[in-house]
Amino acid sequence: MVLLMHECKSHRKSLLVWSLCVGALCFACLLLYDSLADSMDSMSAMFSEMGAFSQALGMDKVSIGTLEGYYAVEISIMLSLGGGLFAAMSGSALVAKEEEGHTSEFLNTLPLSRLQILAAKYAAFLCLVFLFGVVTLLFVLAGFACMGESVHMANLLRYQGAAFLMQLEIGSICFFFSAICRKKPTGAALGLTVFLYVLDLLLRVVPALKPAKYITPFYFANASDIFAESAVNMPLLFGGACACVVFFLASLFIYCRRDISG
Amino acid sequence: MNKLLDSNLFNQEFVPKRHKFCDGRAKSDISLASSAQQRFGMEEKMEKAIEICGLTKRYGRNRGVQNISFVVEKGEIFGFLGPNGAGKSTTIRCLLGMLRYEAGEIKVLGHCAGKEQKAILQKTGYMPSEVMFYPSMTAGQVIKLAADIRGLSCGEEAERLCGLLGVDRKKRISELSLGNRKKVSIVCAMQHKPALLILDEPTSGLDPLMQEVFWELLTKAGEEGTACFLSSHVLTEVRQYCRRAAIIREGSLVRVDTVENLLRSSLRNIKLAGVEEAPALPEITGIKREKDSVSFSYTGEMQKLLRALLVLAPKDVLIEEPSMEEMFKWYY
Repeated sequence: MVLLMHECKSHRKSLLVWSLCVGALCFACLLLYDSLADSMDSMSAMFSEMGAFSQALGMDKVSIGTLEGYYAVEISIMLSLGGGLFAAMSGSALVAKEEEGHTSEFLNTLPLSRLQILAAKYAAFLCLVFLFGVVTLLFVLAGFACMGESVHMANLLRYQGAAFLMQLEIGSICFFFSAICRKKPTGAALGLTVFLYVLDLLLRVVPALKPAKYITPFYFANASDIFAESAVNMPLLFGGACACVVFFLASLFIYCRRDISG
Repeated sequence: MNKLLDSNLFNQEFVPKRHKFCDGRAKSDISLASSAQQRFGMEEKMEKAIEICGLTKRYGRNRGVQNISFVVEKGEIFGFLGPNGAGKSTTIRCLLGMLRYEAGEIKVLGHCAGKEQKAILQKTGYMPSEVMFYPSMTAGQVIKLAADIRGLSCGEEAERLCGLLGVDRKKRISELSLGNRKKVSIVCAMQHKPALLILDEPTSGLDPLMQEVFWELLTKAGEEGTACFLSSHVLTEVRQYCRRAAIIREGSLVRVDTVENLLRSSLRNIKLAGVEEAPALPEITGIKREKDSVSFSYTGEMQKLLRALLVLAPKDVLIEEPSMEEMFKWYY
């Protein structure tokens, strides 16, 4: 518990910066909807005729002529990508930072087993991603409230839940990298997130890439799909949860067996 | 294994057989293991702070340490000497469970390293040579974090140590020099009154006044039963404070003995006047020729040297004991 609190404290600045920036951006974009409302109908019609582009962004399923549709198509991109990048950065830093910062000789010589160290760090990662979700959700709700519009709360929470799991999956992969590396794999983590996001866009356009939906967690955390179908893809969500467990166990397996440098 | 546990033998050079039984990684002789298990009973736990037998650690194809064996008794200050890259830190990190080793056995305070690492670390204080903490935290926060993770309330002792060492608890780690970070590390290592202190080059970076305070603290801890295992390059410190020491060179243990015995070796500095050549003996090294004399180091039997000198017939002969530095250079 002490280490969990320590990790949360040491990442609080990063959490504040990311959640406030992404949240505020979403809030501001929601407020901008009013000024765009007049042209939204024509934009919606135009986008729906753009074939692959509208397919990639999910505009063939929901209309950006409504605030809810605008949220599902435009705002969710910022939330998903911002959340994914935050999760990747946090996950990749948590373990490897000790060896990179030469603090491993302090932490690993305190009476903590490696299992305890890794579990506390992963729990801190869960807390950070959860808090990121809560803060950004509050900004989104505030945005809808300011616009005087209601939102389908169940769909919003479905999307937030799926986005949380998507961030966990990306973060868990990066956490695994962090557990096996001596230096923070930040570049690889950010690259992976962008790759998975682009893969999601492409698989919606290129039929041959459809099986990639089992690889990228952005697929099951797509707000357009969730708002259009009022449901989440449970098998893929379950797969995502399993991936989190597998990557955590793999991290544990390697971290408990490898040499820790000073 | 019986040899390992015989501390008298550990006062001499000793090369044990390769085996281990703590974590079951080695295919060791079962009867040997069970015999050792019996000997590692409660009685042993009370007397030995560190027992290392046949420790071997490699870094891929590179050498780490090979077949290291020695014992550190409870309450003693034990020196660990060797040049840079000899394997001192590798041995220490194996003790602390940071490195996994290929062969050998380590028991710390009666617990198997690796298997019972948490129990070992609970009773151990460690100070690394390159001290580093979380830069954004204050010294006080680091000291408290170490105590909190141990689940102990060490406020009073930490306060006392900070006072003695002059630690400014409000300063951020990023603002502290190496010497000041070392002071924080001393507090972290000693605040819970451990049964064993493992110190890697503890006085490097400390000013002479602080070194004095540090050695006072260490001596007092030793008197209270704390064993201290320290690696150092400062030979005068080892001579002054350590009862026994081990010398490691190129990953292998050269000698484990009392500091007194280490200094009482056969090495002598010889200077001959009135001759230009040193005797042709294999035990002679470091020959230096001067204007009307020749000097060299000699490690053989004195009678053999005297016989050779009779032939050379020098005008004068000066035989000196080497300084401590010369002695350790010879071991290195």
